[in-house]
Amino acid sequence: MVGGGAAAGVFGSLLGLGGGVLIVPLLTLGFGLPLREAVGVSLVSVIMTSSAAAGVYLERHVANLRLGMTLELFTATGALIGGSIAFLLDDRVLAFAFAGLLAYVAISMLRSRTAETATADDVEGTADPSDPPAIATAAGSIVGDLSGPGYRVGRLKVGVVGSIGAGIASALLGIGGGTIKVPLMHLVMGVPIRVATATSNLMIGITASASAVIYLFRGEIDPFVAGPTAIGVFMGATLGSRLAHRVDLRVLRLLFVAVLLYTALQMLLRAVR
Amino acid sequence: MTRQNAVSHGLETRMGRLLIALTYVSVAILVVGVVLMAIDGVSPLDGGPKFDLGAIPSQVAAFAPVGFLWVGLLAVISAPISRVVGAAIGSARSGDRWLVVVAIAILLVIAVAVATALVAGS
Repeated sequence: MVGGGAAAGVFGSLLGLGGGVLIVPLLTLGFGLPLREAVGVSLVSVIMTSSAAAGVYLERHVANLRLGMTLELFTATGALIGGSIAFLLDDRVLAFAFAGLLAYVAISMLRSRTAETATADDVEGTADPSDPPAIATAAGSIVGDLSGPGYRVGRLKVGVVGSIGAGIASALLGIGGGTIKVPLMHLVMGVPIRVATATSNLMIGITASASAVIYLFRGEIDPFVAGPTAIGVFMGATLGSRLAHRVDLRVLRLLFVAVLLYTALQMLLRAVR
Repeated sequence: MTRQNAVSHGLETRMGRLLIALTYVSVAILVVGVVLMAIDGVSPLDGGPKFDLGAIPSQVAAFAPVGFLWVGLLAVISAPISRVVGAAIGSARSGDRWLVVVAIAILLVIAVAVATALVAGS
Protein backbone atom coordinates (compact mmCIF):
# COMPACT_ATOMS: atom_id res chain seq x y z
CA MET A 1 0.00 0.00 0.00
CA VAL A 2 2.93 2.31 0.70
CA GLY A 3 4.33 1.34 -2.72
CA GLY A 4 1.01 1.95 -4.45
CA GLY A 5 0.68 5.32 -2.75
CA ALA A 6 4.26 6.16 -3.75
CA ALA A 7 3.54 5.28 -7.39
CA ALA A 8 0.44 7.48 -7.32
CA GLY A 9 2.50 10.27 -5.76
CA VAL A 10 5.29 10.03 -8.36
CA PHE A 11 2.92 10.00 -11.34
CA GLY A 12 0.71 12.69 -9.84
CA SER A 13 3.68 14.94 -9.21
CA LEU A 14 5.23 14.35 -12.66
CA LEU A 15 1.97 14.99 -14.46
CA GLY A 16 0.68 17.83 -12.29
CA LEU A 17 -2.28 15.82 -11.05
CA GLY A 18 -3.50 15.52 -7.50
CA GLY A 19 -3.10 12.06 -6.06
CA GLY A 20 -6.86 11.53 -5.75
CA VAL A 21 -7.39 10.67 -9.40
CA LEU A 22 -4.97 7.77 -8.91
CA ILE A 23 -5.48 6.74 -5.28
CA VAL A 24 -9.22 6.05 -5.49
CA PRO A 25 -8.87 3.57 -8.40
CA LEU A 26 -5.80 2.04 -6.73
CA LEU A 27 -7.67 1.36 -3.50
CA THR A 28 -10.96 0.27 -5.06
CA LEU A 29 -9.79 -1.71 -8.09
CA GLY A 30 -6.41 -2.78 -6.67
CA PHE A 31 -7.21 -3.50 -3.01
CA GLY A 32 -10.97 -4.01 -3.16
CA LEU A 33 -11.90 -1.23 -0.75
CA PRO A 34 -15.42 0.26 -0.85
CA LEU A 35 -15.45 3.43 -2.93
CA ARG A 36 -16.52 5.73 -0.08
CA GLU A 37 -13.71 4.48 2.15
CA ALA A 38 -11.21 5.00 -0.70
CA VAL A 39 -12.48 8.56 -1.13
CA GLY A 40 -11.90 9.28 2.59
CA VAL A 41 -8.33 7.92 2.44
CA SER A 42 -7.67 9.81 -0.77
CA LEU A 43 -8.76 13.09 0.82
CA VAL A 44 -6.17 12.63 3.60
CA SER A 45 -3.42 11.96 1.04
CA VAL A 46 -4.49 14.95 -1.02
CA ILE A 47 -4.30 17.23 2.05
CA MET A 48 -0.81 15.98 2.87
CA THR A 49 0.68 16.60 -0.57
CA SER A 50 -1.11 19.92 -1.04
CA SER A 51 0.01 21.22 2.37
CA ALA A 52 3.66 20.55 1.61
CA ALA A 53 3.45 22.11 -1.85
CA ALA A 54 1.31 25.06 -0.72
CA GLY A 55 3.80 25.82 2.05
CA VAL A 56 6.60 26.14 -0.48
CA TYR A 57 4.44 28.21 -2.85
CA LEU A 58 3.51 30.58 -0.02
CA GLU A 59 7.11 31.00 1.09
CA ARG A 60 8.09 31.84 -2.49
CA HIS A 61 5.09 34.21 -2.81
CA VAL A 62 3.77 32.45 -5.91
CA ALA A 63 0.33 31.72 -4.40
CA ASN A 64 -2.19 34.52 -3.89
CA LEU A 65 -3.23 34.05 -0.24
CA ARG A 66 -6.04 36.63 -0.31
CA LEU A 67 -7.63 35.21 -3.45
CA GLY A 68 -7.09 31.64 -2.28
CA MET A 69 -8.70 32.21 1.10
CA THR A 70 -11.62 34.06 -0.45
CA LEU A 71 -12.33 31.26 -2.92
CA GLU A 72 -11.69 28.46 -0.45
CA LEU A 73 -14.58 29.73 1.63
CA PHE A 74 -16.74 28.60 -1.29
CA THR A 75 -14.83 25.39 -2.07
CA ALA A 76 -15.18 24.46 1.62
CA THR A 77 -18.92 25.17 1.43
CA GLY A 78 -19.11 22.98 -1.67
CA ALA A 79 -17.14 20.28 0.16
CA LEU A 80 -19.61 20.42 3.05
CA ILE A 81 -22.47 19.92 0.60
CA GLY A 82 -20.61 17.19 -1.34
CA GLY A 83 -19.50 15.41 1.83
CA SER A 84 -23.11 15.22 2.96
CA ILE A 85 -24.44 14.12 -0.44
CA ALA A 86 -21.77 11.39 -0.73
CA PHE A 87 -23.44 9.38 2.04
CA LEU A 88 -26.79 9.49 0.29
CA LEU A 89 -25.50 8.17 -3.01
CA ASP A 90 -25.05 4.56 -4.04
CA ASP A 91 -21.47 3.36 -4.62
CA ARG A 92 -22.35 2.69 -8.25
CA VAL A 93 -23.35 6.31 -8.81
CA LEU A 94 -20.03 7.44 -7.36
CA ALA A 95 -18.16 4.90 -9.52
CA PHE A 96 -19.97 6.22 -12.59
CA ALA A 97 -19.08 9.82 -11.67
CA PHE A 98 -15.46 8.80 -11.09
CA ALA A 99 -15.31 7.10 -14.49
CA GLY A 100 -16.52 10.38 -16.01
CA LEU A 101 -13.86 12.30 -14.10
CA LEU A 102 -11.09 9.99 -15.32
CA ALA A 103 -12.25 10.32 -18.92
CA TYR A 104 -12.38 14.12 -18.52
CA VAL A 105 -8.83 14.23 -17.11
CA ALA A 106 -7.55 11.95 -19.90
CA ILE A 107 -9.10 14.13 -22.60
CA SER A 108 -7.84 17.31 -20.89
CA MET A 109 -4.30 15.88 -20.84
CA LEU A 110 -4.50 15.06 -24.54
CA ARG A 111 -5.79 18.53 -25.32
CA SER A 112 -3.17 20.23 -23.16
CA ARG A 113 -0.45 18.72 -25.38
CA THR A 114 -1.55 21.03 -28.15
CA ALA A 115 -2.30 24.01 -25.94
CA GLU A 116 0.97 23.66 -24.00
CA THR A 117 3.06 25.66 -26.41
CA ALA A 118 0.61 28.50 -26.49
CA THR A 119 0.33 28.82 -22.73
CA ALA A 120 3.82 27.94 -21.58
CA ASP A 121 4.99 31.52 -21.42
CA ASP A 122 1.66 32.97 -20.41
CA VAL A 123 2.21 34.71 -17.12
CA GLU A 124 -0.02 37.67 -17.74
CA GLY A 125 -3.38 35.97 -17.42
CA THR A 126 -6.17 36.02 -19.94
CA ALA A 127 -8.78 38.40 -18.61
CA ASP A 128 -9.73 41.22 -20.88
CA PRO A 129 -7.89 44.27 -19.52
CA SER A 130 -10.98 46.34 -20.21
CA ASP A 131 -13.01 44.21 -17.81
CA PRO A 132 -13.84 46.09 -14.66
CA PRO A 133 -12.00 44.72 -11.64
CA ALA A 134 -14.28 42.40 -9.71
CA ILE A 135 -13.14 43.80 -6.43
CA ALA A 136 -12.88 47.41 -5.44
CA THR A 137 -9.24 48.40 -5.18
CA ALA A 138 -9.68 51.71 -3.40
CA ALA A 139 -7.75 52.08 -0.17
CA GLY A 140 -9.91 51.32 2.81
CA SER A 141 -12.17 48.97 0.88
CA ILE A 142 -13.49 46.20 3.11
CA VAL A 143 -12.83 43.58 0.50
CA GLY A 144 -9.42 44.88 -0.46
CA ASP A 145 -7.55 43.81 -3.52
CA LEU A 146 -7.56 40.18 -4.59
CA SER A 147 -5.39 40.88 -7.60
CA GLY A 148 -1.63 40.47 -7.69
CA PRO A 149 1.36 42.06 -9.35
CA GLY A 150 0.81 42.22 -13.12
CA TYR A 151 -2.73 40.88 -13.22
CA ARG A 152 -6.25 41.77 -12.20
CA VAL A 153 -8.76 39.24 -10.99
CA GLY A 154 -12.01 39.28 -12.96
CA ARG A 155 -15.39 37.51 -13.02
CA LEU A 156 -15.44 36.78 -9.32
CA LYS A 157 -19.08 35.63 -9.37
CA VAL A 158 -18.26 32.87 -11.86
CA GLY A 159 -15.26 32.02 -9.73
CA VAL A 160 -17.47 31.66 -6.66
CA VAL A 161 -19.94 29.34 -8.42
CA GLY A 162 -17.11 27.30 -9.95
CA SER A 163 -15.42 27.01 -6.56
CA ILE A 164 -18.57 25.58 -4.99
CA GLY A 165 -18.69 23.04 -7.84
CA ALA A 166 -15.02 22.16 -7.32
CA GLY A 167 -15.69 21.62 -3.61
CA ILE A 168 -18.62 19.30 -4.30
CA ALA A 169 -16.56 17.27 -6.80
CA SER A 170 -13.66 17.07 -4.34
CA ALA A 171 -15.83 15.72 -1.53
CA LEU A 172 -17.70 13.25 -3.72
CA LEU A 173 -14.69 11.83 -5.54
CA GLY A 174 -11.78 12.33 -3.13
CA ILE A 175 -9.85 14.62 -5.44
CA GLY A 176 -8.18 17.96 -4.83
CA GLY A 177 -10.24 19.62 -7.53
CA GLY A 178 -7.27 21.30 -9.21
CA THR A 179 -8.56 20.10 -12.59
CA ILE A 180 -11.48 22.48 -12.07
CA LYS A 181 -9.87 25.29 -10.06
CA VAL A 182 -6.81 25.92 -12.20
CA PRO A 183 -8.72 26.42 -15.50
CA LEU A 184 -11.34 28.42 -13.60
CA MET A 185 -8.81 30.86 -12.17
CA HIS A 186 -6.60 31.00 -15.23
CA LEU A 187 -9.04 31.01 -18.13
CA VAL A 188 -12.07 32.62 -16.49
CA MET A 189 -10.68 34.90 -13.80
CA GLY A 190 -7.49 35.96 -15.55
CA VAL A 191 -5.01 34.68 -13.00
CA PRO A 192 -1.59 33.72 -14.46
CA ILE A 193 -1.18 29.95 -14.78
CA ARG A 194 1.66 29.67 -12.24
CA VAL A 195 -0.27 31.70 -9.66
CA ALA A 196 -3.47 29.74 -10.42
CA THR A 197 -1.67 26.42 -9.91
CA ALA A 198 -0.07 27.57 -6.65
CA THR A 199 -3.28 29.13 -5.33
CA SER A 200 -5.27 26.02 -6.26
CA ASN A 201 -2.79 23.95 -4.25
CA LEU A 202 -3.32 26.21 -1.29
CA MET A 203 -7.11 25.89 -1.56
CA ILE A 204 -7.03 22.10 -1.85
CA GLY A 205 -6.04 21.70 1.80
CA ILE A 206 -9.09 23.43 3.26
CA THR A 207 -11.42 22.01 0.61
CA ALA A 208 -10.34 18.46 1.38
CA SER A 209 -10.24 19.09 5.16
CA ALA A 210 -13.89 20.23 5.17
CA SER A 211 -14.97 16.92 3.65
CA ALA A 212 -12.31 14.76 5.35
CA VAL A 213 -13.73 15.63 8.80
CA ILE A 214 -17.12 14.36 7.61
CA TYR A 215 -15.61 11.07 6.41
CA LEU A 216 -13.55 10.82 9.62
CA PHE A 217 -16.40 11.35 12.07
CA ARG A 218 -18.67 9.05 10.07
CA GLY A 219 -16.14 6.22 10.34
CA GLU A 220 -15.16 6.08 6.67
CA ILE A 221 -11.42 6.57 7.17
CA ASP A 222 -9.51 3.40 8.05
CA PRO A 223 -6.28 4.36 9.85
CA PHE A 224 -4.52 1.16 8.74
CA VAL A 225 -5.12 2.09 5.10
CA ALA A 226 -4.84 5.88 5.35
CA GLY A 227 -1.52 5.94 7.22
CA PRO A 228 0.58 3.83 4.81
CA THR A 229 -1.11 5.33 1.74
CA ALA A 230 -0.53 8.93 2.87
CA ILE A 231 3.14 8.24 3.62
CA GLY A 232 3.57 6.55 0.24
CA VAL A 233 1.94 9.44 -1.60
CA PHE A 234 4.07 11.97 0.27
CA MET A 235 7.31 10.10 -0.52
CA GLY A 236 6.24 9.60 -4.16
CA ALA A 237 5.31 13.26 -4.63
CA THR A 238 8.67 14.33 -3.17
CA LEU A 239 10.52 11.94 -5.49
CA GLY A 240 8.40 12.98 -8.48
CA SER A 241 9.24 16.66 -8.05
CA ARG A 242 12.96 15.75 -8.24
CA LEU A 243 12.53 13.47 -11.28
CA ALA A 244 10.45 15.92 -13.28
CA HIS A 245 13.32 17.36 -15.31
CA ARG A 246 14.79 13.91 -16.14
CA VAL A 247 11.68 12.33 -17.61
CA ASP A 248 10.22 12.73 -21.09
CA LEU A 249 6.81 13.97 -20.00
CA ARG A 250 5.26 13.71 -23.48
CA VAL A 251 5.72 9.94 -23.58
CA LEU A 252 4.73 9.58 -19.95
CA ARG A 253 1.60 11.65 -20.53
CA LEU A 254 0.48 9.52 -23.49
CA LEU A 255 1.08 6.36 -21.49
CA PHE A 256 -0.83 7.81 -18.63
CA VAL A 257 -3.80 8.81 -20.79
CA ALA A 258 -4.07 5.15 -21.81
CA VAL A 259 -3.96 4.08 -18.14
CA LEU A 260 -6.62 6.65 -17.22
CA LEU A 261 -8.94 5.51 -20.02
CA TYR A 262 -8.49 1.86 -19.04
CA THR A 263 -9.20 2.74 -15.39
CA ALA A 264 -12.26 4.74 -16.44
CA LEU A 265 -13.55 1.65 -18.25
CA GLN A 266 -12.97 -0.49 -15.15
CA MET A 267 -14.84 2.04 -13.00
CA LEU A 268 -17.65 2.10 -15.51
CA LEU A 269 -17.88 -1.70 -15.37
CA ARG A 270 -17.96 -1.50 -11.56
CA ALA A 271 -20.81 1.00 -11.83
CA VAL A 272 -22.98 -1.15 -14.11
CA ARG A 273 -22.33 -4.53 -12.46
CA MET B 1 4.33 47.47 -2.94
CA THR B 2 1.28 48.74 -1.02
CA ARG B 3 1.15 48.42 2.75
CA GLN B 4 -1.54 45.73 2.41
CA ASN B 5 0.60 43.76 -0.04
CA ALA B 6 3.61 44.05 2.27
CA VAL B 7 1.56 42.73 5.18
CA SER B 8 0.22 39.88 2.99
CA HIS B 9 3.82 39.08 1.99
CA GLY B 10 4.87 38.58 5.61
CA LEU B 11 1.75 36.60 6.39
CA GLU B 12 2.32 34.32 3.39
CA THR B 13 5.86 33.55 4.58
CA ARG B 14 4.68 32.67 8.08
CA MET B 15 1.77 30.57 6.83
CA GLY B 16 4.06 28.74 4.39
CA ARG B 17 6.49 27.83 7.17
CA LEU B 18 3.63 26.73 9.41
CA LEU B 19 2.23 24.41 6.70
CA ILE B 20 5.61 22.86 5.95
CA ALA B 21 6.37 22.30 9.65
CA LEU B 22 2.97 20.71 10.32
CA THR B 23 3.30 18.46 7.28
CA TYR B 24 6.66 17.11 8.44
CA VAL B 25 5.36 16.62 11.99
CA SER B 26 2.35 14.68 10.70
CA VAL B 27 4.54 12.53 8.41
CA ALA B 28 6.84 11.72 11.34
CA ILE B 29 3.92 10.66 13.55
CA LEU B 30 2.41 8.55 10.75
CA VAL B 31 5.77 6.86 10.14
CA VAL B 32 5.87 5.87 13.83
CA GLY B 33 2.36 4.43 13.46
CA VAL B 34 3.22 2.47 10.32
CA VAL B 35 6.45 1.10 11.87
CA LEU B 36 4.44 -0.03 14.91
CA MET B 37 1.92 -1.62 12.52
CA ALA B 38 4.74 -3.59 10.91
CA ILE B 39 6.18 -4.63 14.30
CA ASP B 40 2.74 -5.82 15.47
CA GLY B 41 2.16 -7.64 12.17
CA VAL B 42 -0.94 -5.59 11.32
CA SER B 43 -1.96 -5.66 7.64
CA PRO B 44 -3.52 -2.55 6.11
CA LEU B 45 -6.38 -4.75 4.95
CA ASP B 46 -7.13 -6.08 8.46
CA GLY B 47 -9.75 -3.36 8.91
CA GLY B 48 -9.02 -0.66 11.46
CA PRO B 49 -11.24 0.64 14.27
CA LYS B 50 -13.66 3.54 13.77
CA PHE B 51 -12.50 6.96 14.89
CA ASP B 52 -12.93 7.49 18.64
CA LEU B 53 -11.34 10.69 19.90
CA GLY B 54 -11.61 9.67 23.56
CA ALA B 55 -9.68 6.43 23.04
CA ILE B 56 -6.64 8.02 21.39
CA PRO B 57 -4.68 9.05 24.55
CA SER B 58 -4.79 5.54 25.99
CA GLN B 59 -3.86 4.04 22.60
CA VAL B 60 -0.84 6.34 22.36
CA ALA B 61 0.15 5.61 25.97
CA ALA B 62 -0.01 1.88 25.17
CA PHE B 63 2.14 2.41 22.03
CA ALA B 64 -0.69 0.96 19.93
CA PRO B 65 -0.12 1.73 16.22
CA VAL B 66 -3.68 2.93 15.76
CA GLY B 67 -3.15 5.71 18.35
CA PHE B 68 -0.20 7.17 16.45
CA LEU B 69 -2.00 6.76 13.14
CA TRP B 70 -5.03 8.71 14.43
CA VAL B 71 -2.81 11.48 15.84
CA GLY B 72 -0.92 11.66 12.53
CA LEU B 73 -4.13 11.73 10.48
CA LEU B 74 -5.60 14.43 12.73
CA ALA B 75 -2.39 16.42 12.28
CA VAL B 76 -2.68 16.09 8.48
CA ILE B 77 -6.32 17.23 8.45
CA SER B 78 -5.70 20.07 10.90
CA ALA B 79 -2.68 21.53 9.05
CA PRO B 80 -4.71 23.62 6.58
CA ILE B 81 -7.15 24.54 9.36
CA SER B 82 -4.23 25.76 11.48
CA ARG B 83 -3.10 27.85 8.51
CA VAL B 84 -6.53 29.53 8.43
CA VAL B 85 -6.41 30.16 12.20
CA GLY B 86 -2.92 31.61 11.78
CA ALA B 87 -4.08 33.80 8.91
CA ALA B 88 -7.01 35.04 11.02
CA ILE B 89 -4.70 36.01 13.89
CA GLY B 90 -2.11 37.60 11.59
CA SER B 91 -4.78 39.52 9.68
CA ALA B 92 -6.44 40.72 12.89
CA ARG B 93 -3.10 42.11 14.08
CA SER B 94 -2.53 43.93 10.80
CA GLY B 95 -6.11 45.23 10.64
CA ASP B 96 -7.04 43.30 7.49
CA ARG B 97 -10.73 42.92 8.25
CA TRP B 98 -11.57 41.13 5.00
CA LEU B 99 -9.21 38.24 5.65
CA VAL B 100 -10.37 38.00 9.28
CA VAL B 101 -14.00 37.72 8.17
CA VAL B 102 -13.15 35.18 5.47
CA ALA B 103 -11.02 33.10 7.87
CA ILE B 104 -13.76 33.05 10.52
CA ALA B 105 -16.34 32.08 7.89
CA ILE B 106 -14.10 29.20 6.72
CA LEU B 107 -13.70 27.97 10.30
CA LEU B 108 -17.48 28.13 10.74
CA VAL B 109 -17.95 25.97 7.64
CA ILE B 110 -15.48 23.42 9.07
CA ALA B 111 -17.35 23.51 12.41
CA VAL B 112 -20.66 22.89 10.62
CA ALA B 113 -19.04 19.97 8.75
CA VAL B 114 -17.92 18.41 12.05
CA ALA B 115 -21.33 18.99 13.65
CA THR B 116 -23.13 17.54 10.62
CA ALA B 117 -20.95 14.43 10.70
CA LEU B 118 -21.40 13.98 14.45
CA VAL B 119 -25.17 14.29 14.23
CA ALA B 120 -25.38 11.95 11.22
CA GLY B 121 -22.98 9.45 12.78
CA SER B 122 -24.78 9.23 16.14
